[in-house]
Amino acid sequence: MNGCILILVALGLSIVFGLMGIINFAHGIFYMLGAYAGWLTVQLTGSFWLALVAAPAAVGLVGVLVERGVLKRIYGTKNANFAGVLVTYGLAIMIPDLVRMTFGRPGKPFAVPEVLTGSLFRLGAIDVHGYRVFILLVTAVLLPLLWLLLNRTNLGLVIRAGTSDNLMVQLLGINVARTWTITYALGAALAAFGGVITAPLVAVAPEMGGLVLIECFIVTVVGGMGTFLGVVAGGLLIGEALALTGMLYDVLADVVIYLAMALVLLVRPRGLFGQEGMSEE
Amino acid sequence: MRGLLLAALVLATAPLYADYTPFYLGLLTEILVFGLFALAYDVLLGHAGVLSLGHSAFLGVAAYTTGILLARYRAPLELSLLAGALGGLLTSLILGVLVLRKRGVYLAMLTLALSQVFYYIVLMWTPVTGGTDGLGNLPILYLSEPLGWRLSKRPVTRYYVIAALIFLAMLAIRHLLHSPLGRVMRAVKANETRAAACGYDTRRIRLAAFAVSGLFSGLAGALLTVVLEFVPIENIHWQMSGAVLIMTLFGGTGTLLGPFVGAGVFIWMRDFLSKYLEYWEVFVGGAFVLIVLFLPDGIVGSLARLVGRRGLAAVGAAEDQLPEPERLAGGGARAAAGDGRLLESRGLTKTFGGLIAVNRVDFQVRTGELRSVIGPNGAGKTTFFNLLTGVLPPSGGSIFFKGADITGLPAHAVSRLGIARSYQVTNIFGDLTVFENVRIAAQSRFTHYRFWGRPDSLAAVNARAEEILGQLGLAPKRHALARELSHGEQRYLEIGIALATDPDFLLLDEPTAGMSPDETQRTAAFVRRLAGHVTIVVVEHDMEVVMGISDRITVLNYGEILAEGTPAEIRENPDVRRVYLRD
Repeated sequence: MNGCILILVALGLSIVFGLMGIINFAHGIFYMLGAYAGWLTVQLTGSFWLALVAAPAAVGLVGVLVERGVLKRIYGTKNANFAGVLVTYGLAIMIPDLVRMTFGRPGKPFAVPEVLTGSLFRLGAIDVHGYRVFILLVTAVLLPLLWLLLNRTNLGLVIRAGTSDNLMVQLLGINVARTWTITYALGAALAAFGGVITAPLVAVAPEMGGLVLIECFIVTVVGGMGTFLGVVAGGLLIGEALALTGMLYDVLADVVIYLAMALVLLVRPRGLFGQEGMSEE
Repeated sequence: MRGLLLAALVLATAPLYADYTPFYLGLLTEILVFGLFALAYDVLLGHAGVLSLGHSAFLGVAAYTTGILLARYRAPLELSLLAGALGGLLTSLILGVLVLRKRGVYLAMLTLALSQVFYYIVLMWTPVTGGTDGLGNLPILYLSEPLGWRLSKRPVTRYYVIAALIFLAMLAIRHLLHSPLGRVMRAVKANETRAAACGYDTRRIRLAAFAVSGLFSGLAGALLTVVLEFVPIENIHWQMSGAVLIMTLFGGTGTLLGPFVGAGVFIWMRDFLSKYLEYWEVFVGGAFVLIVLFLPDGIVGSLARLVGRRGLAAVGAAEDQLPEPERLAGGGARAAAGDGRLLESRGLTKTFGGLIAVNRVDFQVRTGELRSVIGPNGAGKTTFFNLLTGVLPPSGGSIFFKGADITGLPAHAVSRLGIARSYQVTNIFGDLTVFENVRIAAQSRFTHYRFWGRPDSLAAVNARAEEILGQLGLAPKRHALARELSHGEQRYLEIGIALATDPDFLLLDEPTAGMSPDETQRTAAFVRRLAGHVTIVVVEHDMEVVMGISDRITVLNYGEILAEGTPAEIRENPDVRRVYLRD
């Protein structure tokens, strides 16, 4: 996957894990649903730009439903973190079949919007496509906005405080339940955005969420779970590693990121930018 | 035992219900093999508390090892099966070493990601593994006497041979779960910090659980190759890890039969539901979500609970059969000889970011002494304890125990040297019985990894546990679960666990916290009596207790030693008075 998109999707996974302690196995599903929601929007309205907004919004709403309808039941139970993994894993099995039921098994073509088609300029031997530059620009705009959201707003403050001491935040009289819902929806929306923006590069298919989750996880392990900078660095590193090995020696492309992760685990288990003691439980 | 008999009965008679048709026999055999896989999986999940999503690698590596040996090297069947199981073991060790640096769901995610490496190896190594087409052409049927001959005969014979092998594996797993090592695994699952404080290397214990799980997953993988006479690449795909997780939870974790029932349900869904329903995964996923939410004990676990007989299913339910104790006379903890410095810290420092919690503390305790450490809240007392017991690594300075440098040793190593502690916030094995809480602590002085025999047969361990329960007045409650005790009783148990490791040096962190005045008096008297046998440092807020029992008192303030002396000296110390009056 594109390194920029990987960063955005992995950030979604990371903030949900940071606050709720749940590894959201449905994250890849939200990514896939985002692509489908985008495809549907383009079918109905013909506008790619609307799809960029509508897909995250719609999937964010799905996120709210999942959190309120399913995840809420496991909070405070014994082994809630395990149960969170299990429940979202169950959803990850169910939903692709639901999508196949609704949209059929074959993938859906998703065209690159016309303004962004074709090569923009050449960089050495490589054609730089307009759409790739667009992805880069979008990420460059979104990342600082996300950083501001997490570091300079009340919501971000509550998310970060909740990450380090959930009980204390509740005792301070802050509505944690609502923060969790918002966070989960935000994570889903980020995944969906990644899905819809990837859609023109690949075919939209029910299976597309499968590996995304694992790649996101590798990013957070390499960068350091729960750190903004770590996810960004990890995303760039893994994205580049994928792209480079893909270009130089295709056969190794799939394995090299796993080896990178194993290496980081051996040498620096907390990740490149991780804090001591963070995310060990 | 009833569970085993039931299992044997079902295994022996199953072909009857299947009318001996080769198709159903094949299906039965496959269910058994997946049942073994799920049981091996549950060793890790249900008994060691580790959620793995990487078991596809264990099963897959084993299946391919067996398959490759048979197909490419025409190796004897017995050897191929053995090599497969060992392949699973080796894979689990590799994965375990890497992922056990982390815990909980983070670890789960790591197992998933690393298991993918094995998938890609199989995918890329097409000439040997067959790649996406799988590995076929296995000459099982005519090679290798006598096992191969039996397996090649009639489907019924084949079924019984495999069923017998799986029954033996089941016996072995059951035996292991009831062994001293099995008990330690349960203790680590129940409370990892406390298990470490009892002297157990919790990471190694978990690695042992990984190895057991990997070995038997490997056996299942090897058998699967024989049953299918084919190695599909799905065996090593990560969805196989998901499948075994689903089987285990369907049937019920922590039970012996649950995994087999779960495997049956799962394969029924896969083979029959999918005939009528194109989108059967919706139902598998949906059923899984519902089970996790509403039936966390699974089918067998819930049934057993309904019937009210835990013994039917639960592996860990067997209680120790012990005689009613006569109260053992005399103190248990032995007196240490000599009166030199038992423990000493030099310049001990701990900082958290900018906060200096413990600041260049020079501290000595003589053998046989009862020392109190007092100080206002936030003075660094608990942090100081955490440094001495290896829970936290110091930022600077060093610690000596019996003259040896123990700075930076992990908690379990410190415990093995003879330092024990109790906790300010009760930290017991809540899900274990009162007796087992103390017994598991005592066991750490005898054996950690013994995977054979029964813990009841460790007579010295039982005696020690009984002695301590007797001393603390907890003997009548020995069969209760620790979390069901009253607060005061839990505080006694807290001390009991520490004592059971037979320490030379005991750190008590606010033993009377939350106790009634009456309980406080009893505890103070008990600590004073203990001091005859073991060197004690106690953190305490109740000044009456402190002045009454201490030989010497150390006052901490802002992470530094403010004063040190006899109770009388401390009472008169102007600095101490100032700090406490202000406080």
